[in-house]
Amino acid sequence: MKPGRPEPPTLAGAYALDALTGADQARFESHLARCPQCAAEVSGLREATARLAAAAAEPAPARLTEQALAAAAHTRQLPPLTPSAPRRWRAGRLAAAESVGRAGSIRGLVFRQVWTPRLALAVAAAAMIIAGFVGQAARGAQHQLRQDQQHSHTIAAVLTARDATMIRAPVRTGGTATVVMSGRERALVFAAAGLRSLPSSKCYELWLMGPGGDKPAAMLPEPQHDMTGPVLASGLKAGDHLGLTIEPAGGSPHPTSAVILLLTL
Amino acid sequence: MQEGRVSPWAGPGTREAHRDELSTLLGRVARGDQEAFEAVCRLVAGPVFGTVRRVVRDGAQSEEVAQEVLLEVWQCAPRFDASRGSAMAWITTIAHRRAVDRVRAEQRSAERELRAAAHAVAYDDVVETAEANLEAERVRRCLTSLTELQRESVTLAYYGGYTYRQVAALLGIAAGTVSTRMRDGLIRLRDCLGVTR
Repeated sequence: MKPGRPEPPTLAGAYALDALTGADQARFESHLARCPQCAAEVSGLREATARLAAAAAEPAPARLTEQALAAAAHTRQLPPLTPSAPRRWRAGRLAAAESVGRAGSIRGLVFRQVWTPRLALAVAAAAMIIAGFVGQAARGAQHQLRQDQQHSHTIAAVLTARDATMIRAPVRTGGTATVVMSGRERALVFAAAGLRSLPSSKCYELWLMGPGGDKPAAMLPEPQHDMTGPVLASGLKAGDHLGLTIEPAGGSPHPTSAVILLLTL
Repeated sequence: MQEGRVSPWAGPGTREAHRDELSTLLGRVARGDQEAFEAVCRLVAGPVFGTVRRVVRDGAQSEEVAQEVLLEVWQCAPRFDASRGSAMAWITTIAHRRAVDRVRAEQRSAERELRAAAHAVAYDDVVETAEANLEAERVRRCLTSLTELQRESVTLAYYGGYTYRQVAALLGIAAGTVSTRMRDGLIRLRDCLGVTR
């Protein structure tokens, strides 16, 4: 954890005060989507901020209401959220409903779906990852580039999938892993920052660890500017976990060392 | 049309009633009821406009933002979920977000000065309006129960529209400390105001 970057739970107040921006906000919202207690706390703190708002009340010009009524008369309302919305998104629903203010455009009537915050995250991550990836690809040989392009199509498909979920977690030996997964695409994209550098005799290997055993998913490439990946792991099955281990260079058919990252997918 | 009401929470005991009323009205708005929307506007125009103006400052821009907020309430009413929080919190959240979005968009184009004077303004303004607004009086009383750092962190963020990093810069303390003070301050405010959630 970098100094000056508070842990997500302490940011609940700043979030309720709309005092988080950019990466701080994205990070907290991704945390919020996985932390029901935090969502409940934010909701309680919002009640307190509502009172700050009420305390700031002042007489509004009458034309404000008149104009809003006139605009409403020819503005279509959003459809309600339905129970058929995927369950996993509902945890993030508070944040989603709240984010409508940002995502929606009154004039263009363009509103995002309920999964906006996560999609926004995924897209932001995608932009970051793909930018790094393209740079990396450009440095590669021509045939490598073609292969990479194919890869980047698949990666983009995962990152922009409707059900894309982002998980970020520390790696036990140092660094932070970011995973964007899509159940629909049955694939995930893995990237990491600040992984401890390994001697040339070793490498990082990703595993899909499920009820049927551990399956090698991908070998992590050498980091570029402290960034590793992105790599694609496909063929996800229900109940799979994502594991990361350090293996002899060239990889192993089965993990031979301690798992330094284990994510429930 | 009448002037917007100053506060939907006129005094002790009426708050819950208003809260239910607003929630019920939003349910009707969700079904496209324009009369209910007019009633909602009457109830929330004051807090919405006041909050937006506090952050945005410029009167004309504040009106524009407040109008966007009301229209968003109309559009998004079908998505309001009373189990997630009060109708007023839902609406004022939309208002505050739009206000800070407006301010921050402007900051990006012409970096707004972080004047030290800003702090005093944020808190004192609340005190000034206290006579006209019982809710403001209650909030003011509860704000005094916060430590100075908590109070400044909360009011600079809410009324000043500053990010917690900007608040840290203004107060000359670590961002991590500010985020903690904001949380502790809001928790204390919430408990002092007897927010029931």
